[in-house]
Amino acid sequence: MNIRYYLLRRIILIIPTLIGLSLLTFALVRILPGDPVGYAAGPYATEKIKDELSREFGFDQPLPLQYLNIMTGMLRGDWGESLYTRRDVLGDLQIFFPATLELTAVAVIIATLLGLPAGVISAMYRDRLPDHVSRVLSLFFVSFPAFWLAMIFQTWFGRDLGLFPIGKRLPVLVSPPPTTTGMFLIDSLIQLDFETFLISLKHIFIPALVLSFGALASITRITRASMVEALGKDFVRMEQAIGIPYRVIIFKYVLRNAFIATFTIISLNFGWLMGGAILVEMIFDWPGLGLWITHASLSKDSQPIMGITIFVGIVVILLNILTDVAYGILDPRIRYG
Amino acid sequence: MFQRIFVFSLMLALLLITSATGLAQDDILLYGGNQDIDNIDPATGENYSINAALRSLYDALFIYRGGDIEPHLVESWEVSDDATVWTFKLKENAVFHDGSPVNADAVVYSFNRAMAISGPPTWRWESISDENTAQAIDEFTVQFTLTQPFAPFIGTLPQLFVVNPAIVEANLGDDMGQSYLRENAAGSGPFMQGRWEIGNLYEFIAVDDYWAGWTGDDHLDGFIWIIQRDASTQLNSLLAGETHVADSPAGSDREKIVDSVDHVLEEHSGFFINTLKMNNQGEYTSDINLRKAVAHAMNYEAMVMAQDVKITILPGPTPANFQGYVDGLDYPTYDLDKAREYLAQTPWPDGGITLDYVYVTEFPREEIPGLILLEGLAELNIELNMIPMLWPDMVKSCGSPETGPDIINIYTQPTFVDPDAHLYNQYHSDQWGSFNSCSFYQNERVNELLDTARVIGDAEERQAMYAEAQETINAEQPSVWMYTEDSSTALNTCVKGFLYSPMYPITVLFQDLWMDDC
Repeated sequence: MNIRYYLLRRIILIIPTLIGLSLLTFALVRILPGDPVGYAAGPYATEKIKDELSREFGFDQPLPLQYLNIMTGMLRGDWGESLYTRRDVLGDLQIFFPATLELTAVAVIIATLLGLPAGVISAMYRDRLPDHVSRVLSLFFVSFPAFWLAMIFQTWFGRDLGLFPIGKRLPVLVSPPPTTTGMFLIDSLIQLDFETFLISLKHIFIPALVLSFGALASITRITRASMVEALGKDFVRMEQAIGIPYRVIIFKYVLRNAFIATFTIISLNFGWLMGGAILVEMIFDWPGLGLWITHASLSKDSQPIMGITIFVGIVVILLNILTDVAYGILDPRIRYG
Repeated sequence: MFQRIFVFSLMLALLLITSATGLAQDDILLYGGNQDIDNIDPATGENYSINAALRSLYDALFIYRGGDIEPHLVESWEVSDDATVWTFKLKENAVFHDGSPVNADAVVYSFNRAMAISGPPTWRWESISDENTAQAIDEFTVQFTLTQPFAPFIGTLPQLFVVNPAIVEANLGDDMGQSYLRENAAGSGPFMQGRWEIGNLYEFIAVDDYWAGWTGDDHLDGFIWIIQRDASTQLNSLLAGETHVADSPAGSDREKIVDSVDHVLEEHSGFFINTLKMNNQGEYTSDINLRKAVAHAMNYEAMVMAQDVKITILPGPTPANFQGYVDGLDYPTYDLDKAREYLAQTPWPDGGITLDYVYVTEFPREEIPGLILLEGLAELNIELNMIPMLWPDMVKSCGSPETGPDIINIYTQPTFVDPDAHLYNQYHSDQWGSFNSCSFYQNERVNELLDTARVIGDAEERQAMYAEAQETINAEQPSVWMYTEDSSTALNTCVKGFLYSPMYPITVLFQDLWMDDC
């Protein structure tokens, strides 16, 4: 199939996926029992205050109409207001999403930079000490919950050793760089403000490192497995036989073959890490989607919950499509169908 | 290749470790608050963090300083004998940040705007006011004519923050300026807005020539409210010197703060009151003897040991340090023999029943009392069914006696210093439907006493009525009176001027703080 038709089909499929996602989310936040209006109105609100709020946010309408209003509003670019904070959901997304995206992206970069070489070394020294060390470390990183490691790292490196900050994206007395992308690392580079870039990097390093651990382990193991499989192929023996240096075989031929599987896991991890960032954001006071959705969920604030779910849904779907397209670039033998 | 990566990583790590972190600055207080300040419109915002901002950016007619109420914008006042007409003479030197006077028109405008929007803070005046209530008599005299007498009216006025009408009118939009005031102040308070990073931090800059002057030996140049939702982050930031104050640190971190020579833990017995509300209209808990049996099956002393915060067991319906407290009430203690005696007088003398106990999901301070009660009730052959719920669901369940749980763990906090603030919303049957009155208590004599005490001015007469009401309530045991929870704030010892304020939803009064050699 032509890549254009493939892409068109995937893009069309986004629509039913998002409808399903929105219906499920709406059902979870609106149909389940609870009184978000009572919560938002405050502990001493009178019935009049609650009724007013209920009318303002459309809670007095039938559920199907509420759903339709939310969805048509979203299509018009009006993603509604938070019942609790009264803030514009789309505006809040613009504030919080870049912080989560930056944290996730750096975590994926760290996981790839550490996981890929670890997987390669593990495969090169199969069943020898480096391989065993790599396996034990992978098991360690997968087994320990990120929030626990976050607290330990924060206490050791932040409080006891004073090497890294306790949390936040920048010191509270430092103003963020002018917003272009909302990602401080990129925005500070755009401004050629290397001091803010370094400070920002220092703040993101530990949260991203902690967030990367789970992905790091899976990237290491997948790379190792694919490398081991590729190393057993005939072409490797042939290349060795004709005298190509082992390192060249590993990095030029074997790793390229093994990278497709690793690339898939990196791409999948991006979506998973975005979800997993919630607890890490909480511990490091990282003002991203995680803190926002936690509060919205606990208060059953349906508009932000719908907004975040659909937005993250779109991001993950687009990432998956991009990954599929990248397959074809990485391995021209792959055909779309 | 790996060697190159290793050397590069090492250099990057060294660079990161040695780069600056942005250290604290003199006289800018860094406050670790565990809640966002997501709305600073006085007409719609109300919780402890929002109030911290409102009290800093705006002024009100009266102010709570510690546990006392003081006139603030008000110079003097008069009240009619029937507590209906309240006339306030305003201070003439009060000015908004733009230099315009805080006058009677501004007070009337602020009151009417809040009532028209009908947001959360207006419940205080909803039943006692109409569109003609607030009137400007002259430039600096404002009069409130209530639709019915209300003796504790002054106690509600610290929440009436005065907005600058000119700024609101200039940014009115189609929502009476709500969109603008949500993130922009239009006040006359001791601080102005600085950096305002939603969901992250909020900066407040001191107004050097603040019209009311500064009360402390010195004053802050400003403060930054830093949102820190995780308890370990709050503690680590405080101990690492990244913040000067941590509000409400976790009980489990108490020792670490107390052990630190550079920090002090302010612990105060406040008015944060925990009760187990029993559904007085419920299948089982409508029986007064069953309610008394439950109250005697609670091991109160065990609770003191088990909770991770310091608590003070309640000596009846009202905390001993709150206005209107009646000494010498015969309140229940842990006594299983007595519990069995009461149970024997119910239709279920041998137990064999199951009661639901509802508490906030993942909130151990509400779960623990349930587990202690579960053990006590097991001795009476009564099963306790522990039901965790999200708070909005708990609020919903309190909507009617039919949906009200048998027992529900509820925290309440009086909103002003007056017995009315504590007793009316919990024990007057008009209040059914609110979580405060989830015991669905009904006694006509108590209703009458609470209504009458609201409208008479004589303090002694009122006190006598509240005493009688409490004796009746105590005898009928609508709830299990549990404890007041101590409030704790951890401060660097260089922060001076802290004065604990117990009233809902009031927090630190930043204008009274200063820093000494931080």
